[in-house]
Amino acid sequence: MSSLSATIQDVFNEPGCGKNANKSEAERKKGCTKQLQPGGAAGGCAFDGAKIALQPLTDVAHLVHGPIACEGNSWDNRGARSSGSNIWRTGFTTDINETDVVFGGEKRLYKAVKEIIEKYNPPAVFVYQTCVPAMIGDDINAVCKAASQKFGKPVIPVNSPGFVGPKNLGNKLAGEALLEHVIGTEEPDFTTPYDLNIIGEYNLSGELWQVKPLLDELGIRILSCISGDGKYREVAYSHRAKAAMMVCSKAMINVARKMEERYGIPFFEGSFYGIEDSSDSLREIARLLIERGAPDELMARTEAVIAREEAKAWAAIEPYKPRFKGKKVLLITGGVKSWSVVAALQEAGLELVGTSVKKSTKEDKERIKELMGQDAHMIDDMTPREMYKMMKDAKADIMLSGGKSQFVALKAGMPWLDINQERSHAYMGYVGMVKLVQEIDKALYNPMWQQLRQPAPWENSARNWQARAMAQMDAEAAALAADPQAAEQARRAKKICHCKTVDLGTIEDAIAAHALTTTDGVKQHTNASGGCGACAGRIEDILAALPATVASAIPVLQAAE
Amino acid sequence: MTQNADHVLDHFELFRGPEYQQMLANKKKMFENPRDPAEVERIREWAKTPEYREKNFAREALTVNPAKACQPLGAVFAAVGFEATLPFVHGSQGCVAYYRSHLSRHFKEPSSCVSSSMTEDAAVFGGLNNMIDGLANTYSMYKPKMIAVSTTCMAEVIGDDLNAFIKTSKEKGSVPAEFDVPFAHTPAFVGSHVTGYDNALKGILEHFWDGKAGTAPKLERQPNDKVNVIGGFDGYTVGNTREIRRILNLMGIEHTILADNSEVFDTPTDGEFRMYDGGTTLEDAANAIHAKATVSMQQYCTEKTLPFIAAHGQEVVGLNHPVGVSGTDEFIMALSRITGKEIPEELSRERGRLVDAMADSSAHIHGKKFAIYGDPDLCLGLAGFLLELGAEPTHVLATNGTKQWAEKVQALFDSSPFGQNCHVYPGKDLWHMRSLLFTEPVDFLIGNTYGKYLERDTGTPLIRIGFPIFDRHHHHRYPVWGYQGGMNVLVWILDKIFDEIDKNTNVPAKTDYSFDIIR
Repeated sequence: MSSLSATIQDVFNEPGCGKNANKSEAERKKGCTKQLQPGGAAGGCAFDGAKIALQPLTDVAHLVHGPIACEGNSWDNRGARSSGSNIWRTGFTTDINETDVVFGGEKRLYKAVKEIIEKYNPPAVFVYQTCVPAMIGDDINAVCKAASQKFGKPVIPVNSPGFVGPKNLGNKLAGEALLEHVIGTEEPDFTTPYDLNIIGEYNLSGELWQVKPLLDELGIRILSCISGDGKYREVAYSHRAKAAMMVCSKAMINVARKMEERYGIPFFEGSFYGIEDSSDSLREIARLLIERGAPDELMARTEAVIAREEAKAWAAIEPYKPRFKGKKVLLITGGVKSWSVVAALQEAGLELVGTSVKKSTKEDKERIKELMGQDAHMIDDMTPREMYKMMKDAKADIMLSGGKSQFVALKAGMPWLDINQERSHAYMGYVGMVKLVQEIDKALYNPMWQQLRQPAPWENSARNWQARAMAQMDAEAAALAADPQAAEQARRAKKICHCKTVDLGTIEDAIAAHALTTTDGVKQHTNASGGCGACAGRIEDILAALPATVASAIPVLQAAE
Repeated sequence: MTQNADHVLDHFELFRGPEYQQMLANKKKMFENPRDPAEVERIREWAKTPEYREKNFAREALTVNPAKACQPLGAVFAAVGFEATLPFVHGSQGCVAYYRSHLSRHFKEPSSCVSSSMTEDAAVFGGLNNMIDGLANTYSMYKPKMIAVSTTCMAEVIGDDLNAFIKTSKEKGSVPAEFDVPFAHTPAFVGSHVTGYDNALKGILEHFWDGKAGTAPKLERQPNDKVNVIGGFDGYTVGNTREIRRILNLMGIEHTILADNSEVFDTPTDGEFRMYDGGTTLEDAANAIHAKATVSMQQYCTEKTLPFIAAHGQEVVGLNHPVGVSGTDEFIMALSRITGKEIPEELSRERGRLVDAMADSSAHIHGKKFAIYGDPDLCLGLAGFLLELGAEPTHVLATNGTKQWAEKVQALFDSSPFGQNCHVYPGKDLWHMRSLLFTEPVDFLIGNTYGKYLERDTGTPLIRIGFPIFDRHHHHRYPVWGYQGGMNVLVWILDKIFDEIDKNTNVPAKTDYSFDIIR
């Protein structure tokens, strides 16, 4: 049994992660956890990440070992769907108290496991470590082992206390728990050449069920889904799958990669968001299965299903075209692959005025440029003020984004549609894209937005805070325009690396002074991207842009057109 | 188990016992000439068809389950809104008992009102003596400051002349000559409770402004900067009046709320019974003539009162029970325009909060279909709010709605793409609504307590907004006007929507995969 820190180090070394592969040894050691900035409004912790990754396993009891905070604030807060057991929704916690903190909570944990098994008899109990018991030294691995032996039932320790890092790390630690204690511990009743694992899919809003009928039709069996609508046994025998699809790119990459390593299950990264992506994913599934011994005719059948489903989806989207004419969309997608959705929305007749590329890869960005033209606004980090300006300048009729941006959008008076995890509609697969188009239509034509976008009729709109903010922005822009020196200064002051606070000017100077051509070079000279590494993409862009500006901007633009 | 003194069962439980069930079954079998259950079922199903609807809508004489009450109910409601005023209904006492119980059951408060207790001989010989004795007894027993007289049908059919009767009573010493006894003829066979409200209020204003039935000089209007506000017949008068007053105070507008019954329908329990509480003072009622303008929150409750006030030289504004953002905007901007007062930041913020709440939740209401019934103004206000939210007020029905009202509702429908498939039904009743709900189903029904039968029979979830609400308590304490009132209506609608979602997803191991804690 490896220690928690060793496991974390191992996760950081993940070679399957593209970002990781580009890092230096020292960087890798430091890990991909962006150290949280004290005072910042941070996201979830590692415990939360582990919990949400495993919680969709429906037939196991999820027991949180810790004070009431961890489970009390979070139980049953995810819209995953179960086709069977509902025990995953029951909030189990040891709810430790002062005495436990002083004398240790291991006994209480052991008893709690016992009571769960006596009262609920689930196929397994998952025990989640949290900060307090981790700090007082409760050894949940030992307790789980003892309980497991005593009760003859898998009791799985998920060692991901909140303080070790952010949510994303927790996702991976959850994967490690499955790899160490669950996967490969049981055997399926039978296997077929069509057995598939889907990894990193949580069946939120029941989205997976929108795709499953197509797989059923093709005779492809989802041997195990980790973890949406999953069952303990399915995960336990998932090592017998022939191929795997890795959804939601980075969350559980370690699971997919290690299963390939240990059991020879090839995997690909795919998505069912967007029509084209859905088709690509189906093709890829068929290809991998054929590679692993499924009959060749599977591909022909797959292509037939793809052709039929694509035609149906496009036909369903067609009627919206006239209604979407001239409507502009700003897309802040978060985890959803931008360009894939972009293509579908454009096909529906919407004009995209901007899209976020925060989590997109370089190839994604290229693809977006291809689709939206060179002028595409690719938004890395947009401030609420900029977001508001974009809307105000009538550049967007609606914003599609995750819940995080919701309140900014609404307060700024911007029509908004939720397309991330907490939504209540399922947008996966071909039907999902049609559903998305329908929802956009509803949102665009909701009369409530009229009220939202207009100030109170008696209000002097030249005087409200939005107007003042805009005026301030305009004034700043005008001041810069009048003063080229200040403008240059402002341009150069733009923060590129937030961790090490390195601005654009410093990087440009370093590139010019040392004739740098790589991000590594830039890092050596400026320390930029020496923190979380997220700005490496921005530095690449700077490197790519520099010679062009030096040469001549005009021919490049023409070439792009 | 029959009833037994050791463990007394209430009616929910008792009659479910085997001996009662047996008894009821026997009675049905032996004495009730029972029909073939299959035939009963066939008729029940047939009553849901378009064919039945056609016959139902062809009804000419019969009204089934009316959504309206009679004039004197409205007259009593208006009268208690004046300082220490006792409503006196000239006619049979049975009617008066109805008004009292109706109001009591809705407001959960005592409702004081007397009648002249006309009997058969009064019907034959006229009710003068009942008026004389009635006023004398009322005056001496209950010591009101004013007695507001209205009538039931009985007095109206025999043509009792209230003006002359009151004059005679005063001459006979029933009440002092200078005692205020305004009156209004309020026959139930004309209009509805909203008409009675209108008549009674106009009668009271006429009394004070136009020379107290010839016993005093008419008042000369000396315009000031005050604004009068009339709430109209309103089941939410307790919450609404307080909210309106708060808004007027926020804006710094001097005002008189006419017929302010918000206190008498919400007296505190502190050891003292108040037969009268609060109300527009008689002085204010008289001085209301000098106001700059009068705003009626409900046009169809003041169809005669507003022109009467306008004829005295004031500006009048008639609204239609405004609910929601646009409706409240209209109200507040009218106040601002009339008085020249600025709309304070506080109200802008409340407006923003309502818009914010609508934006947070509108996706759940957007595209949903609603049936609404109630008083004409309420229907207009709610339909306007629903259109604002992107819902469709598919059926809008008022038993006491007129053709002119229907045209106004239609104009509202025409103003929004969400009104395209909506229809208005003036003069129809709840049995018509039943057919509408079966043949053109909607997602939700908005109406008063009586809607619970429609909810049960048609399965359309009922959102209780209107008057009377007997089977839910204390909603009248919440405003539905103003931005905060709009918030309340929004919440009530949303509560029902989420309750329904929960109800549709709560079967263990069957539908509860969507029984979510976050909606």
